[in-house]
Amino acid sequence: MNKITYFASETWASLRKNLILAVAAIAVVAVSLGILALVVMGWNMFSNMIKSAERKVGEIDVYLSDLTMEEERQAIEAYLVSIPEVDPLQVTYKDKETALQEFKERFKDQPELWEYLTENPLPNSYELSTKDPKDVGVVVGEISNNAPYRERIEDIKSASGAIEKLENIFDKFRQIGIIGVIALAIISILLVSVTIQVAIFARRREIGIMKLVGATNWFIRWPFLLEGVFEGLLGSIVAILVSWAVKVWILDKLIDNLQFLRLSLSSSLLWVLFPCMIVGGIIIGALGSAYALGRFLEV
Amino acid sequence: MIRMRRVTKVYKGNVYALEDVTVDIERGEFAFLVGPSGSGKSTFIKLLIKEEEPTGGQIYIADTNINQLRKWKVPYLRRKIGCVFQDFKLLPHKTVYQNVAYAMEVTGKSHRIAEQQVPEVLKLVGLGHKLESFPDELSGGEQQRVAIARAFINRPPILLADEPTGNVDPSLADGVVRLLEKINDSGTTVIMATHDKQIVNTFRKRVIAMENGRIIRDQDRGVYGYE
Repeated sequence: MNKITYFASETWASLRKNLILAVAAIAVVAVSLGILALVVMGWNMFSNMIKSAERKVGEIDVYLSDLTMEEERQAIEAYLVSIPEVDPLQVTYKDKETALQEFKERFKDQPELWEYLTENPLPNSYELSTKDPKDVGVVVGEISNNAPYRERIEDIKSASGAIEKLENIFDKFRQIGIIGVIALAIISILLVSVTIQVAIFARRREIGIMKLVGATNWFIRWPFLLEGVFEGLLGSIVAILVSWAVKVWILDKLIDNLQFLRLSLSSSLLWVLFPCMIVGGIIIGALGSAYALGRFLEV
Repeated sequence: MIRMRRVTKVYKGNVYALEDVTVDIERGEFAFLVGPSGSGKSTFIKLLIKEEEPTGGQIYIADTNINQLRKWKVPYLRRKIGCVFQDFKLLPHKTVYQNVAYAMEVTGKSHRIAEQQVPEVLKLVGLGHKLESFPDELSGGEQQRVAIARAFINRPPILLADEPTGNVDPSLADGVVRLLEKINDSGTTVIMATHDKQIVNTFRKRVIAMENGRIIRDQDRGVYGYE
């Protein structure tokens, strides 16, 4: 207890002494973690949008006529599995009833779409995925030209190229975001380390005396380490507050106003993201002070 | 207590600070280490607290070879050796009491023990009435007494003093050495490096004289020089 109060008071005194630097370090930690949060939230919204799209990239739906006989269906299935570009494990049969259930589930907020149905208008179908999303066109061509009982296949649908393009753009966005976050994290580590170096320099005389009277290395190091960790923690808290504000005042409005895009933010995401940001802030702070201690505090 | 065997210390640029020094200092002894500046006295002391590493030779403290001491154990070695320097090394923004208590705090002792022992030791050095003064309100002699109190607060078996009277008014210097003598009487081994001839000649202790990094004379109840 004695030691804890000692470390805490030393840390606090040191932080107050170089307040401007400490604030700068905290701000940079906050910016880097804030950008991380934006990238993660943006990515989540986008992937939710993609998920809510009817078909994903690389997926093909093959609709069967209601007149299809069981042997015909089996022949078609055997044929689909045998196409080299198709992943044989990803060929699934979906009957009309399942399709209707899924439809009701998806539009449960708009019951007027299905409440008054007297019969099931949805067809039996196969959902299949290509091994490589690029082969979708080849496979669609192959099926429409060479499938057995071709007349039983009413329609073949694949994901539109637009989604594929969007996915590419978002992949770039994610890559740039991750590189930016890493670069900013390194800058924040260095800035934290500068504040710790200044703190070490300001107390060099005291450190010399501590060594002289036999203070252990860790006893000398702790207050500096805590100072860095505290800066990182504070930065992460600021980042969390800012990203919470961005979510409430910008993202939620976006989701409400652009409903046709079916944007959404998984509610569980923030419960994972925010603790991760706190841990990230603490790690940045600890690495920054460890770097300064390693280089500038010979004990 | 302290044994040096053929100890040599060479600084960068081939500067020999100590050359082939062999010496024994027994438990409870009081020894003056004398010689002109640059004769190796300070290096002698720095080697004992492992602030410097010897280039050659062995150093034993209480039968432990400190050359082989692991780095993390060095603080524990230093707790056994009180140190006093010419420039006092007091913290200016701490009071006399806090400066001494600091040496207990950093070794993990509780405030309660410090509250008991610090005033006691400060009384021993004759500063029982100045607990709340700051170092710059004290004379050089008084500041050195605070430094001695700090060095002694953890009751180390060895006390090293490097020119402790160097910044002390000559009329007060005797008092500082008498204090070291008092500490020596309690069983602590004291080594005091000095080039103050008058003090060495007054106190008549063991004299280890150094010149150019070598011990040129080692004499019980000695004087500063032969002249």
